[in-house]
Amino acid sequence: MSELVCKGICKKYKEKEVIKNIDLTLESGKIYGLIGRNGAGKTTLLSLLSSQNPVSGGEITYNGQNIWENKEALKHICFSRELNPTSNNGVGTLKIKDYLKTASIYLPGWDSAMAERLVSEFELDVKQRMGKISKGMLSMVTIIVALASKAEYTFLDEPVSGLDVVMREYFYKILLEEYAESGRTFLISTHIIEEAASVFEEVIMIKKGELLLKENAEELVSRAFHVSGKAEEVDAATEGLLKHQVENHGRSKGLTVLLEPGQQIREGYDIKIQSLNLQNVFVALCGIGEK
Amino acid sequence: MNEILTQEKSIYLQISEMIESDILRDIILEEEKVPSTNELAKLYSINPATAAKGINILVDKGTLYKKRGIGMFVSKGAKEEIRERKKKEFSEYFVKKMLTEAKSLGITKEELIAMIREGNEL
Repeated sequence: MSELVCKGICKKYKEKEVIKNIDLTLESGKIYGLIGRNGAGKTTLLSLLSSQNPVSGGEITYNGQNIWENKEALKHICFSRELNPTSNNGVGTLKIKDYLKTASIYLPGWDSAMAERLVSEFELDVKQRMGKISKGMLSMVTIIVALASKAEYTFLDEPVSGLDVVMREYFYKILLEEYAESGRTFLISTHIIEEAASVFEEVIMIKKGELLLKENAEELVSRAFHVSGKAEEVDAATEGLLKHQVENHGRSKGLTVLLEPGQQIREGYDIKIQSLNLQNVFVALCGIGEK
Repeated sequence: MNEILTQEKSIYLQISEMIESDILRDIILEEEKVPSTNELAKLYSINPATAAKGINILVDKGTLYKKRGIGMFVSKGAKEEIRERKKKEFSEYFVKKMLTEAKSLGITKEELIAMIREGNEL
């Protein structure tokens, strides 16, 4: 059992601190979901974890070995970056097949048969230039790189962005197939939370560069509740609990609570208690107005 | 008025049921104005036509009435009327469902009554 461990990592871009003192352990053989709002630091975190970007403080280790410029450790890690046709790193002028060829050189575990199979399943024309294809097709290329890398730790940054719903469902299907077969660890960031919720074993939420929580997805959802009703009743039933996204409308009130062990919503009040999905929980914790 | 909408039921039904339960809980009183279609649309991020459909169900039942140019109001006696209707629905829906389930589990009438008594004491 290998593990990838971050200890107190920070990242500063000039004065701006985008990752603040994150401790995180990724265990092998799990699918992790990485969620956070725009600018929360998801992509930066993934780039640090894959040593594509140096940390400003702290340390990241693979089985106890610091990963920075560590060729042996980095063999086990692949971060397939989100591609942008207009990015100025020259990717736009490459043909798909050349991009994949480049990836095959850099990634020691490259499975060319798998790459070819996915290219044909995605119906990509490998002779097209990366700058000319659609956003969805670029996402497909990043997915192919990630899956064919066969890396033990594979990070995907918004793999489904730009994909239509059919392709999104198809992506999760092939991801799960690969996972079942290989037991690789995947860390996947996405904004389309509900579609991916059932795929994630654990959820890592980051907020303004800080780690908000890392928890089993189902356990997290099972301790979150939305309480609504007459304001006095809601207040009485949730007294002493930490409240999120409190909304008032006339005499009515609604709020979300995340119960800690030993906590409960008090019984005997005329209120409505509703369970939430992962997306609701995320909005409750990271929504507008949440400190 | 602050419930979250679910996927399990049509949105317009959830809107009308929410208003009914708010009337039952004295969150909206009789002869008070209920939120307008546009307010509901904004509150739940739903299409105003859907919100209107939910409101219209209650107008048809007589729970709400329209004051021209002002908005929708809760009718006098609406709370009692809703309570009576819900009671009827309770016996038709919950009780019937409970009896079916009890039957399939082989729970006798006596056992069921004992269970209800026990539950009532909590």
